Amino acid sequence: MTDQYRLGVDVGGTFTDAILLNESTGEVRTGKVPSTPGDPSQGFLRVVDRMLRQGDVAPDAVRYLVHGTTVATNAIIEGNLARTAFVTTEGFRDLLEIQTGIRPVLYDLQFEKLRPLVPRYLCFGIPERLDFRGGVLVPLDEDAVRRVAERLCEEGVESVAVCLLHAYVNPEHEQRVGEVLREALPSVPVSLSSEVAPEFREYFRASTTVINAAIRPVVSRYLGNIQDRIRGSGIAGELLVMQSSGGVLTFDAAIERPVFMVESGPAAGVIAASHLGSSLGRGNVISFDMGGTTAKAGLIESGTPRVTKDYEVGGTAGATEHGARGSGYPIRTPVIDLVEIGAGGGSKAWIDSGGILRVGPQSAGADPGPVCYGQGGTEPTITDANLVLGRLSPDYFLGGEMALDVEGARRAIETQCAEPLGMGVMEVALGIIEIANSAMVGALRQVSVQRGHDPRDFMLVAFGGAGPVHANRLAAELEIPTVLVPPSPGTTSAMGLLVTDIKHDYSVALIQRADRLDFEAAGESFGRMGADGEAALAREGVGPGEMAFLYQADMRYVGQSYELTIPLPDGGVSPHGLPAVIARFHEEHERAYGFKADDEPVEFVALRLSAIGGISRPRARELAGSGGDLAAALKTRRAVYFAESGGPVDCPVYDRYGLGPDFEVPGPAIVEEVDSTTVIHPGYQADVDRYGNLFLRRR
Amino acid sequence: MQNPTQIDPIRFEVIRNALVEATEEMASALRRSAYSTNIKTRHDFSCAVFNLDARTVAQSFSQPNHLGSLVETVPRALARYGPERLGEGDGILVNLPYEGGVHLNDITLISPVFHHGEAVGYVACLAHHVDVGGGAPASIGAFREIYQEGIIIPPVKLVEGGQIDSDVFDLVLAQVRAKRETAGDFRAQIAANNTGIRRMNALLDRMGTDTVRRYVDELIEYTDRRTRAELATLPKGVYAAEGCLDSDGYTDDPVTLAARVTVDDDGVLFDFTGSDPQRPAPVNSTYAQTHSGAAFVLKCLIDPDVPVNAGFYRNVRMAAPEGTVVNCTEPYPVVGGWETQLRLVDVIFKALAQAIPDRVPAGTEAMICHSGFGGTDPYRDETYCFLETIAGGYGGRASRDGPDAVQPHGKNTANAPVEETELNYPVRITRYELVEDSEGPGRHRGGLGLRRDYLFPDHEASFTILADRERWGPHGLFGGLPGERAHYVLNPDSDAMELGSKVTVQLAEGDVVSYRTCGGGGYGPPEERDPDAVLSDVRNGKVNLERAREIYRVAVEPETWTVDQEATANLRSDSTEEQGRDA
Repeated sequence: MTDQYRLGVDVGGTFTDAILLNESTGEVRTGKVPSTPGDPSQGFLRVVDRMLRQGDVAPDAVRYLVHGTTVATNAIIEGNLARTAFVTTEGFRDLLEIQTGIRPVLYDLQFEKLRPLVPRYLCFGIPERLDFRGGVLVPLDEDAVRRVAERLCEEGVESVAVCLLHAYVNPEHEQRVGEVLREALPSVPVSLSSEVAPEFREYFRASTTVINAAIRPVVSRYLGNIQDRIRGSGIAGELLVMQSSGGVLTFDAAIERPVFMVESGPAAGVIAASHLGSSLGRGNVISFDMGGTTAKAGLIESGTPRVTKDYEVGGTAGATEHGARGSGYPIRTPVIDLVEIGAGGGSKAWIDSGGILRVGPQSAGADPGPVCYGQGGTEPTITDANLVLGRLSPDYFLGGEMALDVEGARRAIETQCAEPLGMGVMEVALGIIEIANSAMVGALRQVSVQRGHDPRDFMLVAFGGAGPVHANRLAAELEIPTVLVPPSPGTTSAMGLLVTDIKHDYSVALIQRADRLDFEAAGESFGRMGADGEAALAREGVGPGEMAFLYQADMRYVGQSYELTIPLPDGGVSPHGLPAVIARFHEEHERAYGFKADDEPVEFVALRLSAIGGISRPRARELAGSGGDLAAALKTRRAVYFAESGGPVDCPVYDRYGLGPDFEVPGPAIVEEVDSTTVIHPGYQADVDRYGNLFLRRR
Repeated sequence: MQNPTQIDPIRFEVIRNALVEATEEMASALRRSAYSTNIKTRHDFSCAVFNLDARTVAQSFSQPNHLGSLVETVPRALARYGPERLGEGDGILVNLPYEGGVHLNDITLISPVFHHGEAVGYVACLAHHVDVGGGAPASIGAFREIYQEGIIIPPVKLVEGGQIDSDVFDLVLAQVRAKRETAGDFRAQIAANNTGIRRMNALLDRMGTDTVRRYVDELIEYTDRRTRAELATLPKGVYAAEGCLDSDGYTDDPVTLAARVTVDDDGVLFDFTGSDPQRPAPVNSTYAQTHSGAAFVLKCLIDPDVPVNAGFYRNVRMAAPEGTVVNCTEPYPVVGGWETQLRLVDVIFKALAQAIPDRVPAGTEAMICHSGFGGTDPYRDETYCFLETIAGGYGGRASRDGPDAVQPHGKNTANAPVEETELNYPVRITRYELVEDSEGPGRHRGGLGLRRDYLFPDHEASFTILADRERWGPHGLFGGLPGERAHYVLNPDSDAMELGSKVTVQLAEGDVVSYRTCGGGGYGPPEERDPDAVLSDVRNGKVNLERAREIYRVAVEPETWTVDQEATANLRSDSTEEQGRDA
């Protein structure tokens, strides 16, 4: 039998990355081509073609292909959206205009509200009304729906979102509205809130449904185009898309529910970190991914990335320390819980009007980029500071493809920061790094401490081009004992595409006190969700032995409004198992909020089921040989500045490709590879394992 | 000299971030563990960290009104209680209005922070409790004196050595209607302070007490320097304005608010002399409430990046004569204080429009617009209380329209979702929509008001409106027109009856109370509005065709959704002639 392959393709703003995995040997190849923003499928095809050619792989040997994409997010940010209409209950036409009522900024007299994605003249109220239990108070006026359909036709609407009050308990009216609209407008996709995000709180459900509707035609064209071309190239394997929650969806499912893939790209990085941790027997991992414009932190507990449903897209997330809540469009689909901040290699350093040195969130981006790129950048950045401090090599950036201008970077820091502050250049360059680090420590704290986790119980996995440059110091600050820097950190994210499970998430609202839980109804719901999940997995070619089902419930104290998601035993919840579930809830509550109230009644809010199609994980490839001579890996020595050494240190620079298993690299030291640089601080060392991973720890 | 002391600017930034983050973690703990919709969903609370002198060091991103009043509440409560009586794990509760407090619903919990046995500072959180007893559910209403408004809590120890004092707790809970909810909210406040204490301790462990103290002092000085530098750029002069609340709930006499803003070499002085004497009616603001209004305005005038701490607050200079509606004394009622204070902010901006016309909005909703109700929940057979505040139109600005339906100035609470409200309380929301044609017309129009109708299908509820803007809509600026006034209507679809803006009514089963809040004021003459913007408003049903023609002087073709340029030019030249004649 010929070898079978998996292919991952990650389309980013600048580059399209691909990763090809030989399932039998575990061999991995990576490739990179410039992205083609006009028609991303071109870059997609080009990189796929190149990977197959270089690997001498026949198209029909590709068992499946997983795609990570920012097409959905970009459509929202760039306003490249379908002409969308919104249909709701009469009396509530302005849900999208009113929003939450709060301002994203407190003291700005020129603030603006979020611009609704549907203009008011395409928002319609339909006579119908349910009560909070789903009982019908006003029957659905189907003629009114037909009249709306006529208007939608006249207006040339391309997509429709329907969100009726209390449809999360009783979807019948919504379903009927959907039928009537589809009948009248067969070519227009209709998104129902009860299918997209069946959760209570109408504005959030409506917003999720509207985003789904608004990006649906764009995503559908995009994925459809890729599908046609891929099929044309002879690849017959399953086509999958990474979803925001870390699982994958088939192209067909993603076309129906594109809101599930808005954070497709960043999710892949966390999944990769999770996989790396698990493969080393480390379930508790904090992922740290730092690129050119932002740094992203995520948390994985017991091998499972933390997932949130409290998320906004298209806002100024990361631009302020307070996250500017209310500045983006809320979505209530599961998203891997990431904290993203404006601290990347391109983040600029500046002096504020009070004479204090600041870093970010403004970024020089890739164009013009940092001063040292010599492409017209004039303001000093984090990358410039790292270069001046000797942490980056001027002549081995991207493996030597780009020479960096140390003198230019130095001058920029001197004239724009050091002189106004009356400080030395090196002192300020160290300051820039320390300030950026403090913001990143804040992000790492947010995903750990703020969620009730002690970072000391976790391993930090650092990747992205700039992650390994900073990770040692961040870990030291948070007392994280170990940092893992995987081989080729620049492509770690793409690796995430190939190690994820196929996953379908289902949920039903069930608001009932735990002591009065209707076990039969709960059992039926789980049965239905399980059957749906099993059928979906079977359609995707997952064998029964490869399926797994994860049972969870959202719970809270009666009267609270924020829920904690609590794992349930297999099969759901039984009278016998209930006390343990409640005990687990009290425990989780205490951990999250610092108190529990054992005497307070507890209630269920929603039941969740994830149907997971397990896939075989790639095995990491072992390095040849063992032991060896560290000196042979020495490329050069150069002066590197560390805050803790008080001056320049004559520091060895090693070639990562020369590091063999069991090598120990004492700090201070620099380890260089084509797509990243690892900085080992004084007092720390890096241990190399047989897979070429670097583990940074205190000496 | 930019760096007067031995301060490392880098460490400074690190400590500054850590302090703000501590308050954000407090807020997150409070929101997520609270019970009442008002706190957990509407975010009606604030958190802050103080140094040992009870000076503000950092604040959470939350309610500006609270933040400006915590600065007054915390030092005075501590002075009265005696900080030496506080040990590790203790927490004092306070809501004393005339001594740095605000209205009774806003209860503050103050906890000392100890580090290795040494007192190093305080954390505090203020939360708006949905009910504190008194004469009507949700403790809002047109009361004559404070004793009718609910429980008054002088600084008293609620938590001792980490344990709730059940004597005090029971005494407090005995006074309030929604006991279970209130108990849960108090526990959430304790959780918030515990979180703050943990975070402060972690910071002190890392940096050392002396270092943190020195940097906190410098943070305050830094903030002071930046605040003064920013204020120095304002045009010097004296700017005055007045405004009126409709009535006081008992008489139809409008309540006059006066603001005189002096910008000089020392910064900005807010003088409210000339405001009406205090009244036995819900229109009195306490000193701390008024202070928070002045602080809010001052913060809007400087770079948003300047931190908010004692270094900022020391620049809030104000004169509020005792015994007036801007600084009331015992036993005058305080429940309506926020209504007065929010309007006062609008009056200050009106005065400042003379100095900085490009930076301030025309009249905004500028009222809290409380909706409070309660009764016996027929499904759960327990007493319930509900409170929310309704958004309204914001004023037009020099270069942009006023947003529709937002919470202006010092109030920034989220709305209560309809589904959550109906699930938890025996009420049905039957409408939640923008009020069409309520905008104050202008070159940049004011925002639309908001309509929210409450139906009580199956029980008799007691309903309190505590609001304003029923007689006059928000003012326009520079030729802009005022926004449409607010309406509070009983049974709008049957025997419609206008209710007052400050009233408690006993509802029968099936009654509906309808709020329609005011639109924001317009900025600049409406006939100078971009015709395409008018077209968009008409197409979106926010402004009707006739209004477009009569007020904005724009002829919209509803068949094609275009502007009839010729007709518009004619309309606009006519209007210029009319104005010429008027002049």
